[in-house]
Amino acid sequence: MDLPVIETPVAPRWVWMEEVTYSHIPIATLITAFLVLAPIFEYVGYRKKDLRYDRLAKSMVFFVMILYSPGAALGTGIPMFIIGLWPEFWSRWSNLFFWPLMVQFMFFLMDVFFLFFFYYLMWDRLQNRKRLHIFFGVMTAIFGLLIQAVWDGLGAYMTTPSAALPAVNEPVGWSAQAFFNPSYPYLFFHRFFANISYTMLLTGGIFALKHWRQKDEKEKAYFGFVADLTFTIGFLTFFFMPFIGWGFAKIMQQHAPVAFHAVMGGHASTYFIVKMCLIAFFLLLGGAYLFARHKRRFLLGCITAGMAGTYLILHWHPAIHWLPGGALVWRVFYTVLIVAFVVFLWSLRGRVSVSAERWKWALFSSGLAAVFVFALGGFVRERSRQPYNVYDQLVKVEATALETDRWLTYKKCVGCHHQSPNDLARSESKDWERIVREERKRPGVEISDQEAERIVRFLKENYR
Amino acid sequence: MIEFPVLGAKWVIGFIALFHTAVASLGIGFAFFVTVAQIIAYRRRERSYDLLAKRIQLIHVCIYNIGTINAIGLVFALSGLFPQFWSQIFVQFYWTLIVEEFLFFLLATTLTFHYFFWDRLWGHKKLHIFLGSLLTPLFFLQFYIINGLGGFMLTPGFGEAEHSIQIGIIGWDKLGFYNPSFLMLQVHRTLANVAYGSFGVAAVCGILLYLHSRPRIRQFYEDGGRLAFSLGFIAFLSLPVVGYFYAHVLKGHANEAYINLMWGKGDIVAGGVDWWWLKHIVVAGTLGMCITYFRKTSGVQQPLQIPGIMTYSIALLYLLFYLAMGMVMTWTFFWFMLAFGLGGAVLSLHLLNYHKGSGRAVYLVVGLASFLTVMLGGYAREASRPRFVDRISHYDNIFVPEERQPYLMLDIKPEDIPKTAALPKPEGPEELIRKRCIGCHTLDRVRTYSKENWDTVVRQMAVYGLKLSDEEREIIVAHLKAGKPY
Repeated sequence: MDLPVIETPVAPRWVWMEEVTYSHIPIATLITAFLVLAPIFEYVGYRKKDLRYDRLAKSMVFFVMILYSPGAALGTGIPMFIIGLWPEFWSRWSNLFFWPLMVQFMFFLMDVFFLFFFYYLMWDRLQNRKRLHIFFGVMTAIFGLLIQAVWDGLGAYMTTPSAALPAVNEPVGWSAQAFFNPSYPYLFFHRFFANISYTMLLTGGIFALKHWRQKDEKEKAYFGFVADLTFTIGFLTFFFMPFIGWGFAKIMQQHAPVAFHAVMGGHASTYFIVKMCLIAFFLLLGGAYLFARHKRRFLLGCITAGMAGTYLILHWHPAIHWLPGGALVWRVFYTVLIVAFVVFLWSLRGRVSVSAERWKWALFSSGLAAVFVFALGGFVRERSRQPYNVYDQLVKVEATALETDRWLTYKKCVGCHHQSPNDLARSESKDWERIVREERKRPGVEISDQEAERIVRFLKENYR
Repeated sequence: MIEFPVLGAKWVIGFIALFHTAVASLGIGFAFFVTVAQIIAYRRRERSYDLLAKRIQLIHVCIYNIGTINAIGLVFALSGLFPQFWSQIFVQFYWTLIVEEFLFFLLATTLTFHYFFWDRLWGHKKLHIFLGSLLTPLFFLQFYIINGLGGFMLTPGFGEAEHSIQIGIIGWDKLGFYNPSFLMLQVHRTLANVAYGSFGVAAVCGILLYLHSRPRIRQFYEDGGRLAFSLGFIAFLSLPVVGYFYAHVLKGHANEAYINLMWGKGDIVAGGVDWWWLKHIVVAGTLGMCITYFRKTSGVQQPLQIPGIMTYSIALLYLLFYLAMGMVMTWTFFWFMLAFGLGGAVLSLHLLNYHKGSGRAVYLVVGLASFLTVMLGGYAREASRPRFVDRISHYDNIFVPEERQPYLMLDIKPEDIPKTAALPKPEGPEELIRKRCIGCHTLDRVRTYSKENWDTVVRQMAVYGLKLSDEEREIIVAHLKAGKPY
């Protein structure tokens, strides 16, 4: 296809694209999470006859109303940008998923109708018909989730394409094989829990600051209650993530090995490590707050179980060679660290007052860290695919030689006998030519002369 | 290409686009009305107008989002159903669409803040009114861009636009954007939408008048409806004048579309109905209703009083317009319009008497009529156009979808539809003139010089920066002096 590609001024095309997507996605995910939780809070308030839940639900929906228009306007910008900057990708991708996109459009319309006309506008009018109102809220949430479900099918396809990308002039419109691709369920559940976790942690942090600044006693009590409630929900929901993330990584290892290696020690791993550090940060602060604030054994037991689950994932993960002395040292190191942390948390139980200002800021910092974790997660996923728009099928127009050579190296070398691209750093720059020559002689290795030249060039320039 | 079952590609796009237009067009009218009502409330210290403005803005916020979602649907549908057309529109107007997108975001944010912070900004009313007043220019700018693209589809500017593509325009086709019908479409749609939006507000007041029985609330909606109705009527005034010039531009630059409209050819007539005539019938009926309404309520005090002379002037203006149309087209048209105008007047009189002077029914009927007018106007413009792709020889290889669904159209075979002849590709001196002159100005300017001055003119152009070899200059001057086409 010879459609001209639009060049972007000032910044490279990916910066423009990231700018518009990172403006839209946090808004859209926050809306989805709030719309899922609002009818639940409303129902709890209705059952417990506690108006605080109803107020919380209503304020969440009000906030959604404020965000909806700007979020939708930014959402319209995403296809606009893609069509001009990656025309071939858009043409072929929308050709494959035309019908899901049209269904998506219907879901959007239904979502707007339920949200605006039945859920928000009818809140006061249906005070005496609460069940009907909650039903409208549930319908809004369902359509919101369906929108996410469609996007995740299309997004997951870009990482683990299970069907070939059609040509521009090859009408397809729908492929179940492509839509229900291997990483689709993992991406959906990973994003579902991540949305709830990060939005609730952030909401809890903001409510904590509002609680601190309130002068009116009644209002102070309300904000204290909702800050605690939302933060706890966000914190507990987080513990689903390591398990789903583990499954997601396994699927990537199987169906998109190069992208997997990019994250696990490759060029995207730095961001992934920063993400893990941020997670450790909010686990530390948030865990300390919750143990200091609560005495309930069940809640604290759940958090401890979550920590144990996270430990399990670390245990399944191959040992990381960050410490001298081999795998055992690493295993002992994190085991001691986590056990000490859990013991520290239990020692805080009910012994520290959380009314001080610094605790409010701690909650807010945790919420903010969770937002960055969320943003980095998406960023890592996108970076891992470089230089492809669609994994192993369509190369981005702006792909550089470095990116394509790196992909080739990961594909040909890392998959067979290394655990991560970091292991390549063991050899010297002068040896690469010899090593690659010898590797090519191994049975089953298919590397052409030209590919060998590119691999050697990449290794010499980046692993010396 | 992807087929859309039952309806077909053209009708699906038509439905989504008209649905989007119906909702989006209300926006500019609603925004304008809200600002006017807020200013009146502020200056006269009458809170009722501010309350009405707030209610209308709430409806605006709700329907705005429906419009936004429709726009997304339109992008998706065009990508799949008219892929090459859509891709190539992006080649020419990418940056235009990105600016549009930016405006869209600004508009959505401003609208949201204006409504949801209404009470919080109560102590800063001027600031709040200013925030609301930003919506109208933002809408106008959005329309400005969309009308550039819409105008291009009807009057692509022939040689100029085509040539601008050939010289490698990617993302911003200035000559295509500022096409011959751009200005007229812009003015026509802006005024029509203010009229439509204001009549829409009046219709909302009409509905609420039916739903409420308390005298105070009814008075509240009666006053609000009257204000909106007056605004709509003022915008309505200028439409025939703009429409006349718009038709004039079409006659010169999209003659086939003009003929289709005026003589009921092509897709303008579908299902045995001339939809452009139908639109004018609705307009004539609306006009009759409006004039009678203002005649009957001239004694009522209101913030925006329309003088009787203005009412009669509008009536006279429209009468002249219909007379002119009768002379150009057929006298049947004139008599039809007269009959429906009188019919509207009688209906309005009856409804006002039936509701003891209340305008609720008139507001509602006129609101519906203006909705129909906008829909029919949009349809007529699209249907009048011979296929867009046929107009640009550069796109000869473009995919033309099956636009005509036999069971929805008149019994005309696709091969019977006359094709617009592709413009011959310029060669020799013609090509040279187009390549060299068009870099700075349109070809229209070339037509303004007389034959004997070409030597001087071309030298002057060289002073301005035109790069020409001596040989090229001689070829161009000889061609232009000979008065040959270019």
